[in-house]
Amino acid sequence: MPDSHPWKGRNVTGSPAVSPTAQQPLDLVPDALLAGRAADGDTAAFEALARRHGPLMRATARRLTGTLADADDVVQESLMQAWKQLDQLRDPAAVKSWLLRIVGTRSIDHLRKRRNHLALDDLENHVDAPSGQRTPDPESTAVNASRVDALKSALTLLPEEQRRCWVLKEFNDLSYEEIALTLNISPASVRGRLARARIALARTMEEWR
Amino acid sequence: MKTPGDALECGHSFAELSAYLDTGEIADPAHLDSCPECQAGLASLRRLSELGNELLTADVAEAGSGGDDWMQTILDNLRLELRPGRSIPLRAEDPQDTLWETEGSVSALIRSVADSFPGTAAGKCRLLGDITEPGAGITVDVEIAVVYGHAMEERAAALRNELAKMLQVQTELDIQAINITVTDVLELPAPAMTPNTEDQP
Repeated sequence: MPDSHPWKGRNVTGSPAVSPTAQQPLDLVPDALLAGRAADGDTAAFEALARRHGPLMRATARRLTGTLADADDVVQESLMQAWKQLDQLRDPAAVKSWLLRIVGTRSIDHLRKRRNHLALDDLENHVDAPSGQRTPDPESTAVNASRVDALKSALTLLPEEQRRCWVLKEFNDLSYEEIALTLNISPASVRGRLARARIALARTMEEWR
Repeated sequence: MKTPGDALECGHSFAELSAYLDTGEIADPAHLDSCPECQAGLASLRRLSELGNELLTADVAEAGSGGDDWMQTILDNLRLELRPGRSIPLRAEDPQDTLWETEGSVSALIRSVADSFPGTAAGKCRLLGDITEPGAGITVDVEIAVVYGHAMEERAAALRNELAKMLQVQTELDIQAINITVTDVLELPAPAMTPNTEDQP
């Protein structure tokens, strides 16, 4: 009974409100499709991708740069770069990790640029590191929340290269090869730095326990 | 518990365990099951990884939703430049006039036609052939995603029909074929189901 299909013969420009995709038109559409549209020049599809992955991009950039204000600059620069380079994305389904790799690179560039404006490079090595918080008071907050806080503090004490590897692995689930490309180091270095980061973090967390 | 340093007494290293957690690869997998030191090291790594996940969840929640103001501000600042693509010449009444439409505008029309079908969204879309040459034969390739439950062949036929009509009205292209590829079948979350999908098989 083909005539029971409500869309059949309908004026295509009319009443899109009945479409299940109409209210949030692109929210259900998979990444690959959105990336394909965006590469064709569809700004709405690109914005849908930005909204979908923006929170993770922001969270990642924040841990990489140290502050939310820097994170927003990085997310904006990353999205601009992504828009310009979308036609170079070979696998549209991998757009998420591609965006996160751009965030990684831009975060590092952002810090480097900012450092060039500051004479005291060494002081900037641990951005936003809370002073004297190596062992947060376990009594101050609920146990899980304070363990997360302790991890935050421990992260700020890591050498920057180790922290980058850790964030790109744990937050973004990038492969060693992807992290290596992002940081411009070898996969073997990624493996070593990640292990050293984990040893340091695990040791701090076990001490804290 | 004592957290192991890089070298374990069993001869393995923390770095090997760390890589094993990420890749599932280690030189001597049988050893892991029987070595208490390696077991303890792995347990410690897994606890750290769980805690890392908690931090990630908290950070993403704190970052806010992509629909929030911070993202709108960023998107407003971007001012994405348009990609017009190739220029498609149009016949002019007056030979002195030069008229054309852009490839980007035709792609946008094709997407809007596909999107207007219930449970359908356009993906990539290509105009194959020399669209800058009046009268050249053109093939249109459109990828679409369809919500699960819609009859795909009928959907593709109806869409092809509408696209042909639209292209005839809105362009002067000599369309020889319209190829529609369903690249994705979407699962709708239950609350988003509409009556439209209920009378489908």
